[in-house]
Parts: sequence; structure tokens; C-alpha cells
Amino acid sequence: MNWALALPEIVLACAGMVLLVAGVLARANAFMLACTGSLGAFLAVGLLVFTTGVGHAYSDLFVVDAYSRFAQVLILVAGALGILLAMDWTRQEHLRRFEFPLLMLFSIVGMMLMVSAASLMSLYIGVELMSLPIYVLAAFARENVRSAEAGLKYFVLGSLASGLLLYGISLVYGFAGTTEFSTVSVALSDPANLSPGLVVGVVFVLAGLAFKVSAVPFHMWTPDVYEGAPTPVTAFMGTAPKVAAMSLLVRVMDGPFGHLIGQWQLLVTVVAVASMLLGALAAIGQRNIKRLMAYSSIGHMGYALIGLAAGTSQGVRGVMIYLVTYVFMNAGTFAVILGMRRDGRAVEGIADLAGLGRTDPTRALWLAIFMFSMAGIPPFAGFWGKYFIFAAAVQSGLWALAVIGVLTSVIGAFYYIRIIKLMYFDEAATAFDAMPPSLSFAAAATGLFTGLFFMFPAPIVAAAEAAARALMG
Amino acid sequence: MAPQLANWFPILVFMAIAGLIALAMVAGSLLAARQKPYAEKISAYECGFEPFDDARRRFDVRFYLVAILFIIFDLEVAFLFPWAVSLGRIGLFGFFSMIAFLGVLTVGFIYEWRKGALDWE
Repeated sequence: MNWALALPEIVLACAGMVLLVAGVLARANAFMLACTGSLGAFLAVGLLVFTTGVGHAYSDLFVVDAYSRFAQVLILVAGALGILLAMDWTRQEHLRRFEFPLLMLFSIVGMMLMVSAASLMSLYIGVELMSLPIYVLAAFARENVRSAEAGLKYFVLGSLASGLLLYGISLVYGFAGTTEFSTVSVALSDPANLSPGLVVGVVFVLAGLAFKVSAVPFHMWTPDVYEGAPTPVTAFMGTAPKVAAMSLLVRVMDGPFGHLIGQWQLLVTVVAVASMLLGALAAIGQRNIKRLMAYSSIGHMGYALIGLAAGTSQGVRGVMIYLVTYVFMNAGTFAVILGMRRDGRAVEGIADLAGLGRTDPTRALWLAIFMFSMAGIPPFAGFWGKYFIFAAAVQSGLWALAVIGVLTSVIGAFYYIRIIKLMYFDEAATAFDAMPPSLSFAAAATGLFTGLFFMFPAPIVAAAEAAARALMG
Repeated sequence: MAPQLANWFPILVFMAIAGLIALAMVAGSLLAARQKPYAEKISAYECGFEPFDDARRRFDVRFYLVAILFIIFDLEVAFLFPWAVSLGRIGLFGFFSMIAFLGVLTVGFIYEWRKGALDWE
């Protein structure tokens, strides 16, 4: 048995437990110890991901391929950005407890398991391991009513989604006779095995995972939880779990359920269109920037789902590239949002950004880059993500989907560009407090990536291509 | 009797004996014991709470903590029994899998101990 294939996950989990004991035994500075320890563990595990071999392990419960590697590296980057964004904010809000980065770390272990799942059972364990720490993180500011509400809401709805997922898994197991992806795929390649119960099971699995990527109509929790949760947690929830859930969704739909594409393609198309429309229209009236980002993320997941609906290798490549650009521009936007403080108090209104172009030109420049990128304006990273997605849709003959995608991104551009207008053309509000160095660094790094993506897309596109080939064969 | 049902015959015997014993105990206490009922004594026992009361009463959050800590070790035992029974067949891999699981639980135990979750006050 080739247990060493899971070495990155094992090392990360062990590092988390060592840090937990070290943190609880430490007399002082447990928080910084946990932060630096987690970041170091992410770096080490990121290197390990490249050195471990490729193949199946644990009686076909676990798989390592180019696809899982791509997603895992992206998840680790997103996790590292999440911890970086939390470091100064937790000090300012008096939430400097060492459990904070460690909960993120354990959630990352679950995400890495998810994208390496080769069976519906390991899939479910990964999803739960990812979700449970995030429920706690959402309620981390426990004296704050909104944070507690966000945690409870997310927990209750997340449990419901887990129930749906499990119900779907049990139906698939009942009708296909196995939970392993490879054997499910073989069983479904024979049209004689196609029963209504199986299709219902697939739909339930799709619904459970659509909840995790917050696609319409399973998005109801997103705005409230995003708004109520502590801002670094919102930043984290908007990046790493989305990557993991979307990668998993693509793996499940194109892998074991790939032969059923005739059954689920229309569903995914409808979900994608609804997400794009809601993301574009509902965000227009928002005044709170975290709520705006919630609707924005719903819309972005809609675009990524186009790549899944395409059902081709190009589509998968498009999803992976989209996720890369999305992680960087989302984390960068949250770096700027976390820096929105006046007299030591966090502000979250969109109107608070007025005149930022004059009071703090660098910060405004980064935010402008992220907003242009989210709107999909060339040459920023977001444009390339959308480009590969739409190209895949057109190649699969999904013209209507591509056209709706372009139209909704035009509508979405309205609220992104309105923020830029606010920053550069409106009456200046009082200046924000100076940004802590960690946030400036995160904003600059993600801003440079987003702005200069067009100069070095080749390695990322090639890696996404290899990942897609590993999945689609 | 269908042959597969015959396999369940010991269960039937078991249930009959269980029913008889339960009946004997209730009847025995009714016939042989002295009965001095009063209101407090004949009311239902509900884990130390008033049996008929507003369900929305607040009670100490520490009960939850104890309950959750209990579940951890309860589960551990639930896993340990089948593990111990089948230890001969699952080999070294099975042995070390459980040791790893116990190690993870121990980390959790150290954490809760140091955090003071085990102190009632």
C-alpha cells in the first residue's frame, strides 16, 4: 500500500497538532508562533506536493494526479494569504487567539483531502473536515452578535447541505453498487445501468457541492455569513474553500458522473446562468462592501461553472485558470477592505472609499486593479480567466451560455467601476489609518500578480492544461 | 418456518426472557415492597430537571462542554472494542492506525486540559 502519497496531508495535519499543543503550552506569543508555524508548514507542504509521486492509494480512496496537485498548491497559496491577512487584524480587534490560524490550517487539510478524493466517502470526510473549522471561524468574534449569527447560520445550513450530499451519495451507492470514482464511472458507462434513482443521487451530490461554492439557488447563506463573519475569515472563505469545492465539483462531475453529462449539463448551465445573473444584479444595491463581495463571489462561481458545463478538457482548464485569477484578486480586494479603518475602528461601507485616490493613491491603485480585474477588463488577470472559460463554452457549442456570461459581466462591471469612480472622482472622505505592513505586502503582491498576469500566463496555463488532461484523459 | 428465520430463534428466546424478567421485577416491587407514594416521588425523573417546565429555560453552558468532551471518549471506546476484537486479523497496519487515532485524541485531550475545560469552576 502506497501510504506515502498522502504525505503532504499527513505532514500538515501533524504540524497542526504539534502547533496546537505548542500553542496551548506556550506562555507568551502563542498567536505569532501559530501563524509563523502554519505559514512554514504551508511552505513545506507546498514543496512536498511536488515531490510525492502520482497514483492511487488507500484502497482507491485517495488519488494524486496533476489535477489534485494544481488545486492543492492553489489552496495552500490561498491559505497562506488568509493567515497573512489575519495577522494584524486580529491584534486590532483583540481576537489574537492562536486557534485562529490553526483552524485555518485544519480546514486546509480538509480541502487538500477533498481535491485528492477518489471515492464518495473520502470526498465527504474532506468536505466535513473543511467545513467544521470554518463554522467555528465564522463565529470567532463570539462577543459580536453578527459573528455568532453568521457562525450559527452557516453551521445549520452547512449541515443541511451535508445531509443532502450524504443522501445523494447513499443513492449513488445504492444504484451503482460502489462509492469509488473509477468503478462508478465504469458502472455508468453502460446506459442500461442508468436509473432515475441514480440521477436523483447525482443531483443531490451536485446540490450539496453547489452549496459549498455558493451557487444559486444554494447561495442564501453567503451574504449574511460574509457580512457577519470577521473580515479575515470572510477573505478566507472567499478563496480557499471555493477553490477546493469547485475543483471537487469538477472532479466528481467529469470523473465518476462523466457519462451522465447529458443528465447534468442542463442543470449546471441553469445554475451557472442564475449565479451570474444574481451576482450581477443583486450586488448593485449593496452598501456594505463585504456583502458586495459576497454577491461578487456568487457571480464568479457562476462563470467558473460555465467551464464545468462545457464538459471538455478546455472547460476544466478554464475553471482552473479562473480559480487562480479569482484567488489573487479576491484576496487582494480583502487586503484593501481589511485596511479600511478610521481612528482604529473598522468601516465596511462602500461610501467610505470615496476619494481614496487622493488620500491614499497606492491603496486606491491596487483596489482599482482588483476591480478592473473582477469586471473582466483586459489586460488584468480576471479578463484571462473569463477568456479561457468563454472560449471553452464556445468550443463546446454553448453559445447562449457564453453570450449570457458576457452580458452579465457587463452588468457586473457597473458596480465594480462605480467603486473606482467613487475613489477617484468623488469628494474625499477622511483618510483611513495607515495600512499595517502585512496588508500592504499582501495587497502589493496580489496586485502585481493581477496586473501583470498577462506577461507570464504560459506556466499557469500549461499547468492548468496538464491538470485538465490528468482529469479528462 | 423459513430456514433464514430459524437463525433468529435465539433472539426470540432472548426477547421472551427479557420480557419475563421485566414483568417479574415490576410485579415483584408492586406486590412485595411497601408503597408510600407522594407527589415528588411519583413524578418522572428527568436528569435533575423539573419534568414539567418551560423548555426554553437557560441552563449552564458548561453542560454542553462536558457532553462534548464525553462524546470524544465515548466514540473512542466505540472504536476500540471492534479494534481489540479483530486485532489478530488486521495486523500491524490496523494496530498503528488505532494508535494514530488515539494520538490525535490525546492532542485534543492535552488541549482541553490546558485550556481549563475540565475545571467546573
